[in-house]
Amino acid sequence: MPSNNESDSFLPDYLKGELRTLNAQLPRRQKSLGTLRKEQHPHIDCNDGSPHYFKKDEIEHLARMLDEKEQNSLMLPIILEIKSDEMGITIRSKEGIEAKIFTEILGMEVSYKDDTVRIFKPQLGIIRKTLKTTTQYVFL
Amino acid sequence: MELTRLKRRLKLATRIQKIVKDRLSILVMEFMQTVRECASVKERLLDEFAEAYKGFSLATGYHGYMNLEQELMVSEKDIKVSAGTRNVAGVRIPIFEIEKSESLQTKARPMIDTSSVLDRSTELSQKCLETLIQMAELQNSLDLLGAEINKVKRVNNALEFIVIPSIDVTIKYLTMKFEERDREEVARLKYVKQLIEKKEAYAF
Repeated sequence: MPSNNESDSFLPDYLKGELRTLNAQLPRRQKSLGTLRKEQHPHIDCNDGSPHYFKKDEIEHLARMLDEKEQNSLMLPIILEIKSDEMGITIRSKEGIEAKIFTEILGMEVSYKDDTVRIFKPQLGIIRKTLKTTTQYVFL
Repeated sequence: MELTRLKRRLKLATRIQKIVKDRLSILVMEFMQTVRECASVKERLLDEFAEAYKGFSLATGYHGYMNLEQELMVSEKDIKVSAGTRNVAGVRIPIFEIEKSESLQTKARPMIDTSSVLDRSTELSQKCLETLIQMAELQNSLDLLGAEINKVKRVNNALEFIVIPSIDVTIKYLTMKFEERDREEVARLKYVKQLIEKKEAYAF
């Protein structure tokens, strides 16, 4: 009978490690753009306790796109959900501010339905190029 | 029991492999983007250095080497670079930012014995410095992303070519054995039935 002794111990251990790594970059608590603008070194704490710093240029770039009310509603980092069984990327957005930002960055309308913004993988590169520190991946 | 456990494990391994593959594709995308950015920043840096050297050679011609050196010696200024980290799909990447307060040329250099040529060259060298810091960030990102890609690739290959196939083979082997046992059981029952029938026939 083929043996799977190695995978017996490897899999659970690996799963634990991998999930830890995948969740490491998720923020413990998101901060609004308005709050981050006031901070001298804008940052949030990740799940693993490490700080995630935002670039001031990016924050100002976002602030230029939004009015004051929207700045206080937009929570950063914007979480990009990547699901293995889906082709696109989804972003949860209650007020559609994220949709407004992505529309401006991409230069085209993005799909916004049921509090969810959907973008395609090729568009992800353009967004990440502009919003390097203000977006964060989550693998589901 | 073992078969159910293995099937569950196979499902889990396939799911992990999918997530790992997603992560790998994201890391590769980030890496490629960084490479592209790195190339353009490098090109810009070389142009800026060429411009700055041109500016300084002009200034040297205008002021003379000794005077220029004297001017530059008194125009020293500290620059503040804030360093932090950002997390890209589980990889901690450094970020550097120059804290902009006052420009390099405005402080310390006396307005006498100076010229627009020198101002221009100091402006250019400041630009070089900013690009250099950006370059350092990108190069570091490339190293870290590259190392992580290698690691994730190895894990992905291990899952795809070793772990999942080995579980699959074990499941197939066990299924085959169970089916064989079922067939044996059916054959045994048939044989017993035949024996009983034979016995009954003899009895009558």
